[in-house]
Amino acid sequence: MLLRPGADDFRIVGLSVGRVLLGVSAAMVAPAVLGFALGEVNEAWGFVVGASLTGLFGQGLVLLCRTRATLTATHGLVSVAAAWLLAAWFGAVPLLLSGHYGGFLDAYFEAMSGFATIGQTLAQDLDHMARSVNLWRHLMQFMGGQGIIIIALTIFSSVGGAIGSLYLGEGREEKILPSVVSTARFIWKVALTYAVVGIAVLWAALLQAGLGPGLGLYHAFALFMAAFDTGGFAVQSTSVAFYRSVGVEVALWPVMLAGGFSFALHYQLWQGRGRELVANLESRVLAVTAGLVLAMMLSGLIAAGAFADASALLRHALFHVISAHTTTGLATVPGAVYVSAWGVLAPASIVLAMALGGMAGSTAGGIKALRVGLIVKGIRKDLRATLLPDSAVVVETYHLGSQRVLSGRKVTAAGTVLLLWVLLYAAGALLGLVCGYDLETALFDSVAAASSGGLSVGLVRPDMEVALKVVFIAQMLLGRLEFIAVFALLGYLVAILRGRT
Amino acid sequence: MAAAAALLLAVLAAVAGLAEALRHPRTIEPVAEPAAVEDPREEVVCDDVPQPRSGEPIVVDSGVLLDCPGRYDGRLVAYEGEVVGAVLERDDGSWVQLNDDPYAGELGPLPTHRQFRGGNAGIGVHLPPAVAGQIASVGAHDHRGDVLAVVGVYHQSDPRSGEVAIIRATGGEVVAAGAPIDHPPLEDRRLVGGLLAAAALGLLLAGRLRARR
Repeated sequence: MLLRPGADDFRIVGLSVGRVLLGVSAAMVAPAVLGFALGEVNEAWGFVVGASLTGLFGQGLVLLCRTRATLTATHGLVSVAAAWLLAAWFGAVPLLLSGHYGGFLDAYFEAMSGFATIGQTLAQDLDHMARSVNLWRHLMQFMGGQGIIIIALTIFSSVGGAIGSLYLGEGREEKILPSVVSTARFIWKVALTYAVVGIAVLWAALLQAGLGPGLGLYHAFALFMAAFDTGGFAVQSTSVAFYRSVGVEVALWPVMLAGGFSFALHYQLWQGRGRELVANLESRVLAVTAGLVLAMMLSGLIAAGAFADASALLRHALFHVISAHTTTGLATVPGAVYVSAWGVLAPASIVLAMALGGMAGSTAGGIKALRVGLIVKGIRKDLRATLLPDSAVVVETYHLGSQRVLSGRKVTAAGTVLLLWVLLYAAGALLGLVCGYDLETALFDSVAAASSGGLSVGLVRPDMEVALKVVFIAQMLLGRLEFIAVFALLGYLVAILRGRT
Repeated sequence: MAAAAALLLAVLAAVAGLAEALRHPRTIEPVAEPAAVEDPREEVVCDDVPQPRSGEPIVVDSGVLLDCPGRYDGRLVAYEGEVVGAVLERDDGSWVQLNDDPYAGELGPLPTHRQFRGGNAGIGVHLPPAVAGQIASVGAHDHRGDVLAVVGVYHQSDPRSGEVAIIRATGGEVVAAGAPIDHPPLEDRRLVGGLLAAAALGLLLAGRLRARR
């Protein structure tokens, strides 16, 4: 029997969402300050408007929804989905006020693309955009990558242990440390350490590339957020190709890879357990799939005759494999070149890499190496059971921090989510076909939106169809939250309409 | 329950409506110009490259260079665009991004008129020091960049740097000087922003006081 949520249920969800929105409101202060400092006064006031509206709404929810009721898993999941929808709604306000978006839908698309760390953009004339607005685009990626909820956990840790369900709602598979709050703090410690080192190295590379100290630091900050949080937005319309620098590209490799690694693996490495990198199921799967994708891309690029020499071939192929596989979405070549000069196999390898994605519990999107590994292990277990005598007990194990026994339940769960991912990729591609795009274009950009890959061959642009914009926004949300939280929110809505009291 | 849902939707619609109302006003009448980024459904026909007289460059735009890179690979081309972002000085010259989208043309950068023409389009160009030295204004939020006309060889993949789809210029000049972009203050946004900020701070303070009690 479907039960209609009561007043206390709404208060719990409202309180959680309100607190998250207060965090988003506070984050808008940074670009506002930068805007005033750089003389981008109209944009800075846009952030004041955005922060105030977000703060009013968030604080209104907090005041209206005060409750001592306990947060359950369902509340957590519904809160996550609602918070993500509303954070993008309010995050869109300063974007629209920047004057670089055709309408609220475009600004909402951009904000969702930011929070969901997708990297696809509907910004118009990005190359004349205010620095404060560009900072906000990148900050949204940072918040989305680190998890709005994690931010809320850190700020509002007074909520206590019951907030674990919020954390799990973001598709993060497991706790790294016994307490969610300590896990959140660890994630922040990792992120800040990488930030200090990453920004310093990128800054040095950008200075070497020819940017001045001030502009170089700004670009380094933005690039770090785009790469570590596997976001893919860029300060300039030409993405990383703008810098024309091997040094910048090489500096981005480890940052993107770190973003694609799970925080659980970071924790193991942090503890000095270097062997985990070799033993870990996910790192093994990623090594194999990245190798296959790289071989596929190199074959395709050689067949297409896209590069004059081997070093350029390897440089661009490696960057794109890392960028696509970690679902970052930064690029060293214009998107049009994928279609006009890279043949069929190389773009197909990018689609495959984006679809597979990074590790579970990382800032990356996509199917995730863990699921691929579990399904392959499950198939191997079934094959062994078929070949061995009936009396044989087949046990399959895998390493993920510790040695674990593979259960049928886990394989089934991984298979189910894999199927959902395939359906999600197909949905956008199908609508793209209906709108008249060819399969290659429709599939490329659909996978990029759903997996958070973010690369584009030109379908995503300001004048694309409204229906595609709406479906891509849904794909971004479903992909980023890995379905369950969105399903929980939809279930809640159905329960409101049809449930019994 | 229904009333609460309707109120929530109304508040969200009001937020979007207020943001729409506070947008930048258009400063010129709408003009009909094509979007900067092509529709990928349009069929690209890479006709044979036009054959100019011996030694003369082929006049190109970024669209043909990106859509048909193989056709123009290694050919002498003439290209014109606005310098945006930064001039990246290196030992052997400078790299610049030259945009030839509608924002680089007569229409001007988006902040000067708010006529939407899509995303940006352009080509990376390597400039000799003498040409790079002429650049006085780089396109950004507060500046319209110099428009540079260059002549050079287009490379689908540059054998010297490994860069993709670039022009290695041998000569060039500034054909239109850039200028600072004026951003007139939006008084209505300041007023609404100030009122909203005061209201938000008031509500936060009220929440604190209530929590203490």
